[in-house]
Amino acid sequence: MQVALKVWRYDAATGDRALREYEIDAPEEATLLDCLDIVKDKVDGTLAYRKSCRMMICGSCGMRMDGAAVLACKTRMYDVAQAGHVPVISAMGNLPIIRDLVVDMDPFWDKFKAMKPYLQPGYERPEDGREYRVTQERMNAVKKEALCINCGCCVSECNAMESDPEFLGPQALAKGFRFVGDPRDGATVERLEQYSGEHGIWECTRCFFCNERCPKGVDPRDAIAKLGAEAVKNGIDRDMGAKHAKWFIRSTETTGWLRETELVPKTQGVVSSVKQMKFAMNLIKHNKAGLAFPPHVAADVGEARKLHRLVHEQGRLGAAGHIQGERALAKLEHGHHDGGDPYGPGSFPKPYLPED
Amino acid sequence: MKRVAYYKGCLASLSAKELDTSTQALAPRVGLELVELESVTCCGAGDIHEAEPDYYLHLNARILAYAEATGSDTLLTVCNVCTLNLRQANFMLQGDANLLDRVNENLKSVGVPAYTGSVDVRHLLWEIAEGDGYELLKTAAHKGLKGLKVAPFYGCQILRPSKIMGFEDPDRPWSLERIIEACGGVAIDYPAKIKCCGFPIIQAREETAMGELIQPVEQALEAGADVMVTPCPLCHLSLDAWQQKLEAATGRSFKLPVLHLAQLVGVAAGIEESELKFKRHIVDPRPALERLEV
Repeated sequence: MQVALKVWRYDAATGDRALREYEIDAPEEATLLDCLDIVKDKVDGTLAYRKSCRMMICGSCGMRMDGAAVLACKTRMYDVAQAGHVPVISAMGNLPIIRDLVVDMDPFWDKFKAMKPYLQPGYERPEDGREYRVTQERMNAVKKEALCINCGCCVSECNAMESDPEFLGPQALAKGFRFVGDPRDGATVERLEQYSGEHGIWECTRCFFCNERCPKGVDPRDAIAKLGAEAVKNGIDRDMGAKHAKWFIRSTETTGWLRETELVPKTQGVVSSVKQMKFAMNLIKHNKAGLAFPPHVAADVGEARKLHRLVHEQGRLGAAGHIQGERALAKLEHGHHDGGDPYGPGSFPKPYLPED
Repeated sequence: MKRVAYYKGCLASLSAKELDTSTQALAPRVGLELVELESVTCCGAGDIHEAEPDYYLHLNARILAYAEATGSDTLLTVCNVCTLNLRQANFMLQGDANLLDRVNENLKSVGVPAYTGSVDVRHLLWEIAEGDGYELLKTAAHKGLKGLKVAPFYGCQILRPSKIMGFEDPDRPWSLERIIEACGGVAIDYPAKIKCCGFPIIQAREETAMGELIQPVEQALEAGADVMVTPCPLCHLSLDAWQQKLEAATGRSFKLPVLHLAQLVGVAAGIEESELKFKRHIVDPRPALERLEV
């Protein structure tokens, strides 16, 4: 089949940047990585990209196709070529580009290392001196997080990291839960304290790009939520993000609906809230804030209060509350129904593709 | 008329009442009969999901149970975050009989009807972007938008995670554009339309949130937008209310009016200002609409 690609070429040394189009003949089963190999072998040997295993294990070939991070070795090109679409291939986001499709992974590995991504044993030596045993069920708690191949596709698209490059980000935090959730690890509280810092758990903006892009089904955002739940369970809730979350719980128990006006002082404290006065006055002027009289109370709110008490008694706190839903959610597949696209199947109608 | 259980959520009950009134006014014109749920609470907005996931599941199961008790098979939402929270809980319950049993036992013990799993959670956006709702929308939008340049802003949790939302391609969505065009507006394109507005962390990490928020505002204006439209009242709150903070921080003037989806369609359908309540916006959309004689 004929495959056409546009590739963003870049040389950090000179700052030269150019969008080059290549057209090649490739076998029908070719992946994006196969196509780049053909370009490099037959058309332009100067094209730079990373690769190694070619089978979705090593995590080397993360890059963007039409603005979305993919593993090049996982991305089949047949449908794209058949539709006559010419995809734009570029380097991953949120990491400095060294050349063409190669990014500098040092900032990625720095955050990875900061998570102390190794087991800190927290178990007693078995009395009989025989093997250490842990049940499959307990290890299943970190089954998804253990799938990570460190490719960086999640980091590439992280909206919070785009705004604050110091945010630990989806890969590092998912790795963090891989150890917090590991029954053999003994540093849970220390880890949660560390991960709850300024650039940690509560800086995640819940854009869900990481879940969408991860080629291995790690669902990093879900791992961050598990860390949040474990932090709250362990009383590590000084961060404004944790206080914000706890005010939602309090609201559902009392009025049922969010008590919006009190959310700012409950999250940020009274002193910070006073500084927000001018902003708040403008909201009040437009009826966007202020105390509701009488307060808006949901009917039968006592039921929510009782449910809260009940689930606490049942003790499924922390990440266990997330993990219980994973079996059902695993049945869902990424994607969308085809019926609604008014531009027709195989069309590439309106993705935003920067041309410069 | 399609009879749907209507879950308006916190914001449409409180700071974004204009979303509720415009939705109520629009609904019959697009074939929806709203049965408002009274005995329901906040969905937890992702916050309770994060902090106490088991409580989150029970709270949302309770909402689903009361929706099912209305006899309707659809729970209509008008907020991205409610949509994700409710759909996610729904899939957890529908896909695991043991979990559903346990949650139902708990619901029954506090006096809530059991949930069988028959409800589908759907956002207003999806109801009017295709099918009967879309056909009725085309007729209802008789006044048109006279070529008003509208920037669609999807926000995150109506698109991602796609395995839970599943309505359209999260990277090249089309529903808002289709509605804008059916109403006689011109949909403009810009990269940040599918990105985050920063709202979930706007209180805990305001600076990071503002770095996200500026992108759609700046890009939509550069692309020539007269107004922006969003299906999410949380996105609306950050885009509309926090815009003044963006202006203070950058020393620039944006003044980009942001409309709720039901308001934009409401304008095209000739719904009265008393229902659309534009005076509740921080950036008043009326000058932009009047300039174009919409």
